[in-house]
Amino acid sequence: MTQVPQNPTSAPPGAPSGATPEGMVALTIDGHRVVVPKGTNVLEAARTLGNDISAFCYHPGLEVVAQCRQCLVSIEKNPKLQPSCQQVAAEGMVVHTVDPQSTLARKQQLEFTLLNHPIDCPICDKAGECTLQRLYFDHDNADSRVDVPKVRKDKVVDVGPEIVLDQERCILCSRCIRACDEVAGQHQLEFANRGDHQVLTTAPGEQLDNPYSLNTVDVCPVGALTAKDFRFTMRAWELEATPSVCNGCATGCNIEIHHKHGRAWRLVPRHNPDVNKYWMCDEGRFTYHGLREERLAAATVEGLPAGWDRAMASAAKRLGVFLKDGSQIGVVLSAQHTNEDNFALASLAKQWGVKQVYLAGRPPVPARADGKLRVADVNPNTNGVKAIADALGFTLTPAYELDNNVPPTLRALIILGDVFAGIDAGKLRELDVISIAAHERGPVPHAKVALPAAAWAENAGTITNAQGRVQRMHAAFTPPGNAIAAWEAVVRLAHATGIKLTWTHAREVFKDMTAAVPAWKELTWAREARPLQLRFAGSRG
Amino acid sequence: MATDSTLKQLVLGRKDAADLSDTETELPPDLMTVNMGPSHPAMHGTVRIVLTVDGERIVKSDVQPGYLHRCFEKESEYATYTQVFPYTDRLNYVSPMINNVGWAMAVEKLMDLTPLIPKRVEYIRVIVSEMSRMTDHLTCVGASAMELGAFTAFLYFLKAREWLYELLEVVSGARLTHSYVRVGGVAKDLPDGFHDQLTLTLDKIEPVMVEVEGMLSNNKIFRDRMAGVGAMTKEEAIATGCVGPIARACGVDYDVRRDHPYSVYPEVEFDVPLGTTGDCYDRYLVRIVELKQSIRILRQCLQQIPDGPTMVDDHRVALPPKRDTYNTIESMIRHFKHIMDGIRVPPGEAYTFVEGGNGEVGFYIVADGTGRPYKAYCRSPSFVHLSTAGQLIHNHLIADVVPIFGMINMIGGECDK
Repeated sequence: MTQVPQNPTSAPPGAPSGATPEGMVALTIDGHRVVVPKGTNVLEAARTLGNDISAFCYHPGLEVVAQCRQCLVSIEKNPKLQPSCQQVAAEGMVVHTVDPQSTLARKQQLEFTLLNHPIDCPICDKAGECTLQRLYFDHDNADSRVDVPKVRKDKVVDVGPEIVLDQERCILCSRCIRACDEVAGQHQLEFANRGDHQVLTTAPGEQLDNPYSLNTVDVCPVGALTAKDFRFTMRAWELEATPSVCNGCATGCNIEIHHKHGRAWRLVPRHNPDVNKYWMCDEGRFTYHGLREERLAAATVEGLPAGWDRAMASAAKRLGVFLKDGSQIGVVLSAQHTNEDNFALASLAKQWGVKQVYLAGRPPVPARADGKLRVADVNPNTNGVKAIADALGFTLTPAYELDNNVPPTLRALIILGDVFAGIDAGKLRELDVISIAAHERGPVPHAKVALPAAAWAENAGTITNAQGRVQRMHAAFTPPGNAIAAWEAVVRLAHATGIKLTWTHAREVFKDMTAAVPAWKELTWAREARPLQLRFAGSRG
Repeated sequence: MATDSTLKQLVLGRKDAADLSDTETELPPDLMTVNMGPSHPAMHGTVRIVLTVDGERIVKSDVQPGYLHRCFEKESEYATYTQVFPYTDRLNYVSPMINNVGWAMAVEKLMDLTPLIPKRVEYIRVIVSEMSRMTDHLTCVGASAMELGAFTAFLYFLKAREWLYELLEVVSGARLTHSYVRVGGVAKDLPDGFHDQLTLTLDKIEPVMVEVEGMLSNNKIFRDRMAGVGAMTKEEAIATGCVGPIARACGVDYDVRRDHPYSVYPEVEFDVPLGTTGDCYDRYLVRIVELKQSIRILRQCLQQIPDGPTMVDDHRVALPPKRDTYNTIESMIRHFKHIMDGIRVPPGEAYTFVEGGNGEVGFYIVADGTGRPYKAYCRSPSFVHLSTAGQLIHNHLIADVVPIFGMINMIGGECDK
């Protein structure tokens, strides 16, 4: 331990000192001693101190290339400045990030990057969440010294079905190239030409069409790559972000819903090292469009709009005659709905003495499975419903068996969700079908009574992914019209049939549910997340 | 068929004295509770007082402010530092410029900009502050006189106030809510010919002052209503935290401009008037003298104001010129960041206070390094002064509430924040 700085002023008072723990290295950054795991680079080590060394090409989820030279720092006993992203922290290393030499180098690098950057902020979709804007404002903020015309390149290059490239805005950091190589495993982007004529372009014979292509838009530190789906629709700083989980498939990628005025404008991945790291697939990003399609905003009785009171009275009247015998009622749980929604309906079924419990969901798409994030099961909560049914002692029958095998005793059916794949819903017209769904499709148009429910982005609850990981979703905005959370509709239905369910909040359903399902005993309900105004969240990227 | 007297009683709700029985003509011996406000024609601002009166004498009062609460402090947490200026305009809306200056000084203190502010900016800030102080005192004295029946004095002073408002409109573009000051400077330079216009206005105001003083100062009715009414001792004023003209009328020798000098106040000469009795008449006299002192300060400033920039040359706070904004990416980004994210204020906390129309206006800001305040607090003199109102009107007649409230000069926007 002779390398620990001898000068007592180089470590702040109270800083840990002495022997470095196993598997860790201790280094000094700007006089502060920092201990990090072996193999950590100097940039990440500095970030643990809250020291934000500017960088463009470095992304924690991608290979390090040290291409942008924006993170240069001085390291003692090293004659030249070193890129801190590539420099692995070593025991006893003494790093300076605020010394005149490296500060000047980074400022000049920024000036160089801005040299040919077009004056596009007012029309650029990245403005407000642009790394270049943030780093210039925080680290340089100097006037322009350019007195020659900027180099012009192509402005609107159609590089793929989802993405448009602006070559002038590109700062040649190569993040997108690496994202295609490493996340999608497809080499679709390339640099061409040299010097100030260097441009980003598609690789020969390729276009940017891999299923993870929109991650390149996220990692782009400027507005060079923009999503056709989002560009020119909404300014980024106007949006609010609510953490949630993608409902597109059983992977359960962690996402942020970016919303404004009660509607979602885009979905972006949220870092979770155990599930999706920094990424998500393009298909998942587009699931927000469905939130506004064919919504059931009011209860219906026999296909006509009704208030909640009339719908409840009608449902109670229809169910009343069958409630004495549990075999006359069937319940369909939904792999598209949260654990809470399913637990509420399953609990009610238990109290009614229901024997027939089905599981509805979208049929698997084997072609999707790629060993990365996309899996065949396109239902977000198959595992959760199975666990709940197990815990309550139900045997789940696949819902498609209803297509040709309706049990003769069955008189009424409570269906959660709007997905009823493989069934001709018209065959159920003899039954008293009560639907609880967010969208008016599948079994809903054939239901005698349909109750409007919140869609996934409007719902606070949990879903269980393919790993069996129970993940929390936060409600981004309120559901349209008279729709309420599905578990709450179940509570109303229970009250209408004279059964007392006392839940008034999803966390109360969650509490009873975790008590009932053995594997979920340890789970706790986290605080509700307040929407984060992106305008004040600092620049991202 | 109703008799005449019962018909009258039904229609008018009262009887003729002749129709009353003996017990009815006697005043009730128990106390009566009446409401004054929230919207009362003889009251400054929107404030409700629940008075318990014994005949005409007030034995108990409950002063209830809050009708103009606009969450100034909470709103500030959701606006950039620059966007707070319009909110400060609506604090003391009779002298908004002083609030502007106070807020700007607090942010500048956080950014260590105070010594770098150009001299011309400081002079402009003092000029607009003193003009605002004059509008504040003219309104207060004029309105109080009107509430006591002296309508002419009111019209004369409001005429003088309007000259100043017109001039402030020429400077800032808005008659009342100026939003003229910026962090690090002012929005734009004084317009051409401002020097002459202000001199002319001051020359016109001085005779108006003489006229109104002649109408009020030795007016028997005015003196009877003001002198000896609502008096407060020096000790009481200090104990309750009174500041400004009210404290000075009680003999508290304290003026922020002189005792904690800021801006260029050390470079101008002015006197701080003091009262002796601390009653409403002294408060009136102090304000009249302060008006004259403001004119004196303004004339000195007009002589001493240097040429120079109207914004500190610091990229952290100064917007780039429009020409650069549209032609260089560096200025474009800086402009965008200043407007959208706000000027970046380093973490820390600061309190600054300036002499407002009603006394010490203070702004306390906690910054967390982002573009908007983590917490903002405003020390508003009106709120402190209003807290003494219940004590001051105690044992006075209901009619005395009017001059006492007039001279406390509660400004709803500032009191309720």
